[in-house]
Amino acid sequence: MSVPIHLPAPAAIALALAVPEYAEPAHFSAVSMAVLALLIVVSAVLFWSRFGKVVKVLRQAKPDADFSLHPVGKRVWDFFREVICQSKVIQERPIPGLAHAFVFWGFLAFALVSLNHFATGFNLGFLSSHGVFGEFYFYFAAVFALMVTVGITWLFIRRFFLRPKWLGAKLSYESGVIAGLIFLLMATYLAGFFTPPGSAAALALWWVHALTILVFLPLIPHTKHLHLMLAPFTIFLSRGEFSRIPPLVGDEDFGLVTGRDITKLAALQAYSCVECGRCTEHCPANNTGKELNPKQIVLGLRGFLNDLGPGSEEPVVDGKHETLTSIFQCTTCGACEYQCPVGIEHVPLIVGMRRGTVNTGVWEDEYGGKLFNTLERNGNALGMSAMERDKFIQKEELPIFDGTQEYCLWLGCMGAYDPQGREIVASFAKVMRHMDASFGVLKKERCTGDPVRRLGNDLLFQTLAEQNIENIQKQNVKKIVTICPHCVRTMAKDWQEFGGVTAEIEHHSEFMARHQHLLPQTGSDETIVYHDPCYLGRYRGSYEEAREVLARSGKVVNPPRSHERSFCCGAGGGLVFLGEEQGDRVSHTRARELTATGAKIVGAACPFCNTMFRDALAATSDAPPQLLDIAQIAARSIEGEGATPDA
Amino acid sequence: MKIVVAIKQVPVRDTNVRIDASGKWIDEADLEFEINEPDAYALEEALQLKDEHGGEVIALCAGPEHAGSMIREALAKGADRAIHIECDDLGSLDTLGVAQRLAAAVKAENPDLILTGLQSDDLGLGQTGVVMAELLGIPHSTIIMHVAVDGAAIKVKRELEDGWFQQIEMPLPALLTIQSGIHRLRYATLMGIKKAKTKEVKKLTPAELGAAPAAAITVERIYAPEKKKQTQILKGSPQETAAQLVEKLKYEVRVI
Repeated sequence: MSVPIHLPAPAAIALALAVPEYAEPAHFSAVSMAVLALLIVVSAVLFWSRFGKVVKVLRQAKPDADFSLHPVGKRVWDFFREVICQSKVIQERPIPGLAHAFVFWGFLAFALVSLNHFATGFNLGFLSSHGVFGEFYFYFAAVFALMVTVGITWLFIRRFFLRPKWLGAKLSYESGVIAGLIFLLMATYLAGFFTPPGSAAALALWWVHALTILVFLPLIPHTKHLHLMLAPFTIFLSRGEFSRIPPLVGDEDFGLVTGRDITKLAALQAYSCVECGRCTEHCPANNTGKELNPKQIVLGLRGFLNDLGPGSEEPVVDGKHETLTSIFQCTTCGACEYQCPVGIEHVPLIVGMRRGTVNTGVWEDEYGGKLFNTLERNGNALGMSAMERDKFIQKEELPIFDGTQEYCLWLGCMGAYDPQGREIVASFAKVMRHMDASFGVLKKERCTGDPVRRLGNDLLFQTLAEQNIENIQKQNVKKIVTICPHCVRTMAKDWQEFGGVTAEIEHHSEFMARHQHLLPQTGSDETIVYHDPCYLGRYRGSYEEAREVLARSGKVVNPPRSHERSFCCGAGGGLVFLGEEQGDRVSHTRARELTATGAKIVGAACPFCNTMFRDALAATSDAPPQLLDIAQIAARSIEGEGATPDA
Repeated sequence: MKIVVAIKQVPVRDTNVRIDASGKWIDEADLEFEINEPDAYALEEALQLKDEHGGEVIALCAGPEHAGSMIREALAKGADRAIHIECDDLGSLDTLGVAQRLAAAVKAENPDLILTGLQSDDLGLGQTGVVMAELLGIPHSTIIMHVAVDGAAIKVKRELEDGWFQQIEMPLPALLTIQSGIHRLRYATLMGIKKAKTKEVKKLTPAELGAAPAAAITVERIYAPEKKKQTQILKGSPQETAAQLVEKLKYEVRVI
């Protein structure tokens, strides 16, 4: 039942009569115009003195070799959503986000008013409060002015009194000045409605408003408010895909080594950062006491560009602007990049710096070196003999792929060599057989190269990718399904740099979700907490498939951070193979969250998450929930169904 | 300091090795190869000595064409140039034959130091380095854990049995065979591989190095270890089985 809301008629009439009209000074003298012109020139010069330098850096920076505007449709849509609608700003922090959106929309609405304001100063005003459009527009802008006033006041209170820690320990007084200026702009505009037209008060208000704008303008490029010039471009010109790692071009490109390797997009992103700290707020490394702070990574790059410039031959990872410790603490979970409201792509930046230090041999790490040598030698990250894989295949009686089967079941290193991973593969094979899907496994597999791709070892990644691509193409594989989201991502996206494969690639959650009608509906109310793997969720946008599969075997619950906000297990980015973590373990933090839901079972969908939680759940709880992959849960339901055929 | 490192390519460890039709060598089709592990440490030692004292590292290899990939990897890791004695007949040579080829190639270089792994993972003879030193008429030392350069001499640490070590001072030039696992191995980098493209790989044939002597040994047959031992399970009560065991130890095995 809906109740139409309308004002009682007398109140509406009273309101209409009470609403005053916007007052402007009547006439400006020649002297006044000259002063105004001079002030505009001064403001513009001050503006350009800084903004010109930023433009120069952007012009000097190396072009992005793989950049393409295609697909434009997606770019326009992203621009509409993220810039015009402020979707990310609002979605991830609703109240301050809305406050920001009010200010932003207010700015847009005020563009015409401001233009008219200065035109009036030269007796060229084109909006009149007596004209139909002018009258409408002044009121229209007044509505926005009210919204901006509320918004900026709230943001001021938040920054200076509530002080959320993600904004940094140091108070940004420049933000206070900017807030004050915006408030003053709105106040002087709104006051114009309560001032007689042509009066001295109207003239004074006009000047205060104009001067505020002229002070505001040069402050933009000198502060993080530069984002209001750059962020719309940054969002429109993003790399076009989540966490896209650009290809290396030519014989001299080893990633982000020196200033010369900072591309235009990287520089644009560095200057766009608004220092809101959303990236840091969601960073698993930063949240567990590590040095890595994704915001600092971006600001470090900006600092490098300011100090040394894009032509510098100095290393970017110089221990001052960027540090080796930080960049190798990243799990490449992408939470930062996903959150960023101004379109900064942190993961390609961090991976770029890793490439720069690994491809030139600067990074020396006992575990990292061991991983590289192991992968070079054994072709799998676990350092086992390929014979062990053969034995597992024989034991589980997995058919060998010969081109007659519909699916190639890709085992991956974890599926082929890790005991828990093998159990997942065995369960998934059971599910596939239950669904009558024909499948086979390849005689030989090498690591897809995921850990070395993220750690920045391009030589090894290229070797592994090319060997696998050749093998898969030769075997005439049409469809690949695997239990590992890292394999899916690497095969589907990262291999494209070396030609890629023609086969369709999917994760087992997607396969099972497509055939979920073949899975038993147990009707069980056993609670299963599902952990979104980073490489399935944020990287692939697959959130519901695994939940649909789980829903057939129990009641799915979500941990506090789920879907796009899922908190990493700590394994990604090759970190599972590196040494002890600084601070708390990421896996422990997440395991506590999962246990706290009270669910009986933790449903995992990635063998790396699985291996991390195996230890973490036991270490953080006396009675931890049972840890199972979604394939193991599905297989169990199938077995249960077989045991009670009457059910 | 000019250092030559002799390296060998061997089948990847834990491979399922098959014997070829002749019964005298392994079937190399489908095999994957890698650097002999102790040689990888010899190369690392050479590169570290170069990092510390400057000079030149030359990778030396006698082996078939496919050893080229290993040579490129050595160059990518930092060797300055390489010498590849191309030959497919390693299986039919004895240690002396291989050492003569290597020594002939080394002679022309006149290095300060020659390093190689203490033995190969495939044949495991452990003699190639030592025989080379004899052919070159220079001192050698084996199973080396640590090398310190002291002017025109070196101090080395040798591994002995049972946790004992021996410290030796040697004049240069000298030859050392290096123990596995003494360093953290560096990884090949993209930059290294790109630089390696421009580095010199000198290719030599056995004929260019002088006629090889007839092998002192010939391979009759190679075969996988044959199972000869048998396990017997004694049955009965503890008293009965103990009596049977004593009987067997006394009269069958004759150890008590």
